[in-house]
Amino acid sequence: MGDKTLETEDIPRSVINEDEPINKSLTMLPWDRFSNWIHCACVVTFDLELGQAMELIYPGHIKLTDKEKMNICYLSFPDSNSGCMGDTQFHFRIRQCPGRKPLVRAHSQYNRDCPVTLQLDDAHYYGFVYFRQTKDRSIRRGYFQKSVVLITKLPFIALFNQVISIIAPEYFDNGEPSLEAACHDIDQWPLPVPGDTLNLPIMGSVIQVRLSCRSDKLIGSVPPKYSQTHSIPAHSILPSIHEVDIYSSFLSILPHVQLLWELVLIGEPIVVMASSPTITCNTVQALVNMIAPLKFCSDFRPYFTIHDSEFREYTTKTQAPPPVILGVTNPFFAKTLQHWPHIIRIGEMGPLGSSPKLANKVKKAAALKTLDSNPGVYTRYKSFLTKDKAILKRLMKGSQLKRPVEAQNAILRRHLLELTHSFMIPLERYITSLMPLQRNISPHKGPPKLRPFETEKFIETLEQSGPQLTSGIKGDWEALYRRFFRSPNFEGWYYQRQKEVNQKLQLLHLEALSNANLSEWIADKEEVQIIDLILKIKDKLNFATHNHGLVGKESVSRLQKQLEDIVSTLPDDLQSVIKT
Amino acid sequence: MPRNKMSSVRTVISSVASDRVITKFTPAFHPDGTPYSKVNFHPKVKTACSENRTGRVGLKITKAVLVGDVAVGKTCLVNRFCHDVFDRDYKATIGVDFEVEKFSVLSIPITLQIWDTAGQERFKCIAASYYRGAQIVIVAFDLTNEESLHHTDQWMEEACASADQPVKFLLGTKKDLLSPSSYSDVEVRALKQAKKLQAEFWATSSKSGENVTDFFFRAICLSFDDTLLKELEVDTVASKQIGTIKVQKSSSDLYEKRKSNQLKCCS
Repeated sequence: MGDKTLETEDIPRSVINEDEPINKSLTMLPWDRFSNWIHCACVVTFDLELGQAMELIYPGHIKLTDKEKMNICYLSFPDSNSGCMGDTQFHFRIRQCPGRKPLVRAHSQYNRDCPVTLQLDDAHYYGFVYFRQTKDRSIRRGYFQKSVVLITKLPFIALFNQVISIIAPEYFDNGEPSLEAACHDIDQWPLPVPGDTLNLPIMGSVIQVRLSCRSDKLIGSVPPKYSQTHSIPAHSILPSIHEVDIYSSFLSILPHVQLLWELVLIGEPIVVMASSPTITCNTVQALVNMIAPLKFCSDFRPYFTIHDSEFREYTTKTQAPPPVILGVTNPFFAKTLQHWPHIIRIGEMGPLGSSPKLANKVKKAAALKTLDSNPGVYTRYKSFLTKDKAILKRLMKGSQLKRPVEAQNAILRRHLLELTHSFMIPLERYITSLMPLQRNISPHKGPPKLRPFETEKFIETLEQSGPQLTSGIKGDWEALYRRFFRSPNFEGWYYQRQKEVNQKLQLLHLEALSNANLSEWIADKEEVQIIDLILKIKDKLNFATHNHGLVGKESVSRLQKQLEDIVSTLPDDLQSVIKT
Repeated sequence: MPRNKMSSVRTVISSVASDRVITKFTPAFHPDGTPYSKVNFHPKVKTACSENRTGRVGLKITKAVLVGDVAVGKTCLVNRFCHDVFDRDYKATIGVDFEVEKFSVLSIPITLQIWDTAGQERFKCIAASYYRGAQIVIVAFDLTNEESLHHTDQWMEEACASADQPVKFLLGTKKDLLSPSSYSDVEVRALKQAKKLQAEFWATSSKSGENVTDFFFRAICLSFDDTLLKELEVDTVASKQIGTIKVQKSSSDLYEKRKSNQLKCCS
């Protein structure tokens, strides 16, 4: 049915929004705008003969590999017989099969301007699931079990949770046309541009949301600017596109929040066990978000099942556990992963605002033998930093005073942000000291590079300008840094900085080259040197076209002029060689 | 501070196209074809607008739904009004199209959402969620197709069931296809039907553009006056408790919204 309705001629002329120049281009095809947001929507059913089975993929032209389909099928259902009656919502993350097309243009543009923590990842998909399980006498075995899933690369947890909660119930009530209509609504959404406040029509209402951008202020949450000038009305305003309720997720293990922050920061393997995927996915997502604005660079699976194609890879006992964070519900994992160094066990989430029963003591991992272990953090890890009791007291008091969850979240998030900042500021400062000096940029030499990061040199700076300047938390910060340097998070951060700095240096160098008096310089040079210079300039112009928008048009045209001038000084035969 | 406020108001107004500025109450299409006797904005509304006391909940939004049989020309009507184009190539709407138009009514910025629904039977099941909270219901029929007029009863009933005491319109399309004499025949029946539906009758042509803008202006005027009056009444009651703080209202709305979302997620 989906295939039938999807032929191109059936699709109406897309409505062109004046605010989006890219959409005006004639190359915009039906479903292009849809693909900027969502890869596809799936319906997964439980077939009594086959088990989980893909019933529908929408739009029909979208291809998923068998492996992807299989993973989506298994991850769209609860993994254990833990109930989940009624409606359950959660999300998962899967590996994309290799050999796919690179990111679409809208996505690479988005990645360039969004905060690094919200970049979409070439190699993974998120799946947002709405699972319904109800008694239905008309069906053999008496149960209706079905999931609607949105597959996307964008890490907009809050947004897609909201969207699926609107779409799925409509689908269960009214069938395929509702999915078709919802996808058509999404095909009218504007581009995901960081910094923009967007209005997203979906099934008769409009979700208004602001996309964070890299230049947003980091400390303190950015007050969303719903300015009067904004044109489209909103029926529902999402305060954040990606944030999960970290306070409620950590409620039962609140005393260990700082320890968990350390574990996530240094990229330790962590498994979260709970009875429902809703709990595991929120907890895993909360863990990953803890170290923002630093990007968590390892793999993480908000919900992971024994059927996952990475199951063997991640649970093998022949190697040390990989530095990933997994959320699991199947009791089987309690045994399979009992050798993991850090296990978080979350109980049922109480009603909001109920006073939390705290698992105060860190437990030895070996204690987790039985399936019905108590909530808590099971680890032998000793924190490098001493616990900040003030923040705990503040949160506990808030809980007694029935402070709104939003406020508790803001307090906790701010605390973690400040902690991460205190940790990162010395590193950022040190990186700055590795920058070459402006006067080292010469048009006649190659662009200078960032000097290498030397661990010991950095450690030396700590005494003068370590985290103690911005944080009251005591402890062995130095040892924490040393552990951090071995983690993928450091690697990712360092790589990103190197990339940014080298790009900046390229730019400055290009600028210098375009302003230099090159014809004077080449006057007494050998032909080889002149050719070398020409190649260098060509290289620069290449860089400029690849980093479109970063390089000023004037510098580019100046450089082009320089190139032409130099080429014209060459003998004719050489000129024709150069031009080809 | 006051200067800031002024400039922000000005940007709002300047962002509204000059042909979307409404200063006069647009009259009905046919004096006998309307249940709405209003010929001007309510004095209270006028005063409120001139004193700039209208911004209680921020931006004014009006939601309009456009329904009717397949191929009566719903999308063409919207395209004529929003983009001033007419495309005779017929393409069916999948589900619902969404358009937004900004207006300034008595210097108050107001935004019209137009949800242009599909006429096909297969989309009827999902229609209710699209109708929800609509303040304007437009039931379109083809002036050259008697059958489509007969179906307006059902369309009106369905749309109004989920809407929010809407302003109702019965809108005939493709007027350009009729000779004046055959038009007057249809008009008699349409006026009768409008009376039955308690809706206001309009006859339009998306091809020539005849009455299209006037119709939408009329819809905006009626809905604006209605909504603002209701709001002003609520205000006089509510202001005793909450005072006249404008910002607080919207921020508490935001919180309520979030809270309800979260409850949904956690359940």
